[in-house]
Amino acid sequence: MPRWVWPWLLLLPTFLAIGAVAFWPILEGLRLSLTNTSLITRQSDFVGLENYTGLLSDARFWNAWGHTVWFTFASTLLETLIGLGMALVLYERFACRGLVRAAMLVPWAMPTVVTSKMFGWLFDGQNGVVNWLLMNLGIIDAKINWYGNPDTALTTLIIADVWKTAPFMALLLLTGLQTIPKSLTEAARMDGARGWTVFWSIRLPLLMPTLLIAGLFRALDAFRVFDLVYVLTGGGPADSTETLSTLAYKELFSTLEFGYGSTVSTAMFITEAILAAILCLWLVRTIRRVS
Amino acid sequence: MTFKTPHSGGRPGPAHVTQLDRRAFLSTGAAGLGAAALGLPTRARAAGRKQISFASAAFFGNESFGDLVNSFNESQDRVMVDYIELPPPSSSTEVYQGLVQQLARGNGTPDVFSQDVIWIAGFAAAGWALPLDEFVDAEMTSKYFEGTLSACKWDGKLTALPWFMDTGMMYYRKDLLDQYGEAVPETWAEMARIGKAAMEAGDTEFGFLWQGKQAEVLVCDAVEAIASNSGAILSDDGRSARIGESAAVEAIQFLYDTINEMKISPSDVLSWDEEPSRQPFTAGKSMFLRNWSYVWPIAQDPSVSEIVGKVGAGPLPHFDGGKSASTLGGYQLGLNANTKERDAAWEFMSWMSAPEQQKRIALNFGLGPSRPALFDDAELNEKQPFMATLRPVFTGATPRPVTPEYAKVTLALQSGISKALVNGEVEKEMTALSGQLDKIVG
Repeated sequence: MPRWVWPWLLLLPTFLAIGAVAFWPILEGLRLSLTNTSLITRQSDFVGLENYTGLLSDARFWNAWGHTVWFTFASTLLETLIGLGMALVLYERFACRGLVRAAMLVPWAMPTVVTSKMFGWLFDGQNGVVNWLLMNLGIIDAKINWYGNPDTALTTLIIADVWKTAPFMALLLLTGLQTIPKSLTEAARMDGARGWTVFWSIRLPLLMPTLLIAGLFRALDAFRVFDLVYVLTGGGPADSTETLSTLAYKELFSTLEFGYGSTVSTAMFITEAILAAILCLWLVRTIRRVS
Repeated sequence: MTFKTPHSGGRPGPAHVTQLDRRAFLSTGAAGLGAAALGLPTRARAAGRKQISFASAAFFGNESFGDLVNSFNESQDRVMVDYIELPPPSSSTEVYQGLVQQLARGNGTPDVFSQDVIWIAGFAAAGWALPLDEFVDAEMTSKYFEGTLSACKWDGKLTALPWFMDTGMMYYRKDLLDQYGEAVPETWAEMARIGKAAMEAGDTEFGFLWQGKQAEVLVCDAVEAIASNSGAILSDDGRSARIGESAAVEAIQFLYDTINEMKISPSDVLSWDEEPSRQPFTAGKSMFLRNWSYVWPIAQDPSVSEIVGKVGAGPLPHFDGGKSASTLGGYQLGLNANTKERDAAWEFMSWMSAPEQQKRIALNFGLGPSRPALFDDAELNEKQPFMATLRPVFTGATPRPVTPEYAKVTLALQSGISKALVNGEVEKEMTALSGQLDKIVG
């Protein structure tokens, strides 16, 4: 066997595995999105871009698209800011730091379905602790109907997501902080820099690559939000919490319209790819500037 | 959907596995393993018998559907049934997918299956369910509740055999009605008035609780309101929408008004499905509740209920000039159109739907029979007294829209009705919804 064959032969299992679990489903999804496949009507004919033109004029899709983008933006931003704050605190030495670092990860380690049920009770309109606290503190004078009102439902879901995932951001940012050479901050302090100056001029710029990578992870993950919505609101009230994942689920598995459902998930894939591309470009530029 | 079962201590829920069950399970399991190790066919008894399969969502009570299938297998020596257990009815989307995937293969498995009433039209239109008209006559069908029977029909043909059912009903505080000297309200207006009075008297916090979460249950509540005003969601042939008509608009407007005008329902009902609405009621906080039959044993259980002995249940109210309607639920039997053993399959499913088995299901699973005559049965009346009172409720059972496109229709209804209940522009939303439905079913 010629020598050049060997490396390819050794790579073959990896290619096969990735192809089978990543590329094939994507291509199959693309193919299905160009057909009118439905398990109920048992059709499976090629219809070209018909599904896509239908999608562009589908108000439900744009409604879900808007919610998903807003959810992604708001939760990622809040998680990054809160996570950064947590990371800066946990970086400092204090008593029981190890314990606090471990405890901080508990929300993130919890299954989202459990988190969802928990937030269901916390924000319950009648018996929820949140309403009780706000009323007793005199901040509100009537119970807020968190999940039953379209103005607050999505915000409540964002709060639940932030609670759950901010610790994850904090963890990533903490590791980022630890890679910044101590000599730099020490030198700055010697030169008389105060805490804020150290943060703005040294830590933040050097943390930027980690921050962007963590943000990228979070954004891509938040974009797929499903379990919170599924457990807490089912997309309601009045479609105010419908996201692309729940819409795709309803199309694919409730109506069994695999063609149109795949179109929704492909559109989701495209939006996510654009989002990832923008963040990656920004990331590359930042890394170049830092190094 | 579970009534009080004799040994269940009054709580609906998962199986109550007895020692006996466990031992039986272990011994059959061991026998199966032994046979497999020896390479013997595990079903030696099946020799010479016709083999068919039966798939059903898994319901539990004092026994399982597997036990029923065993009884059938032991009762005769012509047919041998394999039981395929699907997920429980609480995961009905998964049950639906499982059935569709098997039926779409068209290889005749499962020969017999049980199906939620809302899937019947879709399975029939896809050609998966065999019309049963060659097996049944008017004499036989007259023994079932009319509403259930009409939900089992598609395109004029009977494509499912009624099995067991459940419907929406009204729970009320008997003690408070007695105290006010009021009769059980028959119209929505009376109900609202009494509910308001109970709130003003400080006896309850809410007047009327129902389910407005954007989910299947919202469609059930809406069907009841609309049908009790002589309206409908779809026309009789299922090809056009009627939800834009004034009868339907009035009914949805009433639901909106319970929150915003009469203020007998908290706005939280917009995010509530069955359990969140049940809890305040059994905590004694509401005068009336719309829910399914499963609430009864909970309301009578002193460990979770504040209102033991103070509750009544009956048909839901109606609008002036209308008739009480309750949304029909439950699972009905279907015969796979591709089965190779038609007669054997029919023998099994007619046995399953026979009075003896329906009674056994009522007693051991707490699931309501689809045969009105069973409600006169002395043993059933003694062991399930609440179920026996449900005859008038079941008589008013109203199917949800009968259409093969039900899955799309229900999603559109959930979204449209939820919007109307939130923004109060009922007429506008119902007109828009009507247009959408016309596009789906037209």
